[in-house]
Amino acid sequence: MKIRHVKTGIVLGSLIALALASSATGQSMTKLWTSDAVADRQRLMKLNGASWADAQAKLKAGSIEAIAVNAETLALTSTQIPALFPEGSLTDKSKAKPEIWQKWAEFEAAAKNMGVQAEKLRDAARSKDQAATEAVAKEFGRQACGTCHQPFRVPPPQPQQPPAPPQQLQPR
Amino acid sequence: MNLERVRAGALLGSLVALAVVGCAIGTTTTMGSGDPVADRQRLMKNVGANWAEIQSKVKAGNAEAVAVNAEVLSLHAQRITSYFPEGSLSDKSKAKPDIWQKWPEFKAAAKNLENRAGTLRDQAIAKDAAAVTTTVATFGRDACGTCHTPFRVPPPQQPAAPRS
Repeated sequence: MKIRHVKTGIVLGSLIALALASSATGQSMTKLWTSDAVADRQRLMKLNGASWADAQAKLKAGSIEAIAVNAETLALTSTQIPALFPEGSLTDKSKAKPEIWQKWAEFEAAAKNMGVQAEKLRDAARSKDQAATEAVAKEFGRQACGTCHQPFRVPPPQPQQPPAPPQQLQPR
Repeated sequence: MNLERVRAGALLGSLVALAVVGCAIGTTTTMGSGDPVADRQRLMKNVGANWAEIQSKVKAGNAEAVAVNAEVLSLHAQRITSYFPEGSLSDKSKAKPDIWQKWPEFKAAAKNLENRAGTLRDQAIAKDAAAVTTTVATFGRDACGTCHTPFRVPPPQQPAAPRS
């Protein structure tokens, strides 16, 4: 038996295994969204901004339990974020940083974290515990939005301005 | 040149290509927990919660404020079909097998929800309270019902909710 044949066999075997393994993780995916990932994710994130603004308004008005629906929406949309960032999907309209794909695991973790934080907010709201809900909400911008926007999004212009008015949905 | 080596090289090359393609497909991120019944029930619960909020806002004379909820419905509607992989039925599911027998109709029903919710959103953004009220009045039948009637096992009969 020639050493070279054994080597070739090993290489072939591992490549077959790699091909099979990577195909298996492909799963069966239905084509989602439109073909414009940037527009899709900006629409999703605008809704997140609007949901967050709605939650804050309810907090101010003391409608604690009503925040749960917004928080659950944030939790659900967070699971869709990574799929909306196919590799290299950058345009002049996008504020995404290329770091997303260089540090994909961290990006995924940040989206996951948003889901965890949103569920925390939802559960606090469902329990009608005003103090607990306020506590989660107070940290939400930094803990949930910021952990992704800081490393992975180009900062919006004029960050020194006073807080912007609540984000409104625009006609599409 | 040794023919055997060329062959081995070609084989290696195709396997590398296969592995690369496989990885590329593999990066498609899967969503949800892997349990489509739980995932879609969670999604539809949030649809129901947003719908309830739309109704209470309209009742409170706050029709313009339903835009955010309507947009949630529209975006969630886009997700519906992906949460119904063929044959995903369990004893917890209220889905009818007709979903997969009439898949194009099922898809169209989800699209109909997306579109109607989009209409409602735009009416709210335009601050057209009358239009919002009209859309909401028929939404249960025209948006929810067109899918739930043919494709969902009816929930246990409840006393009719008071109409308002």
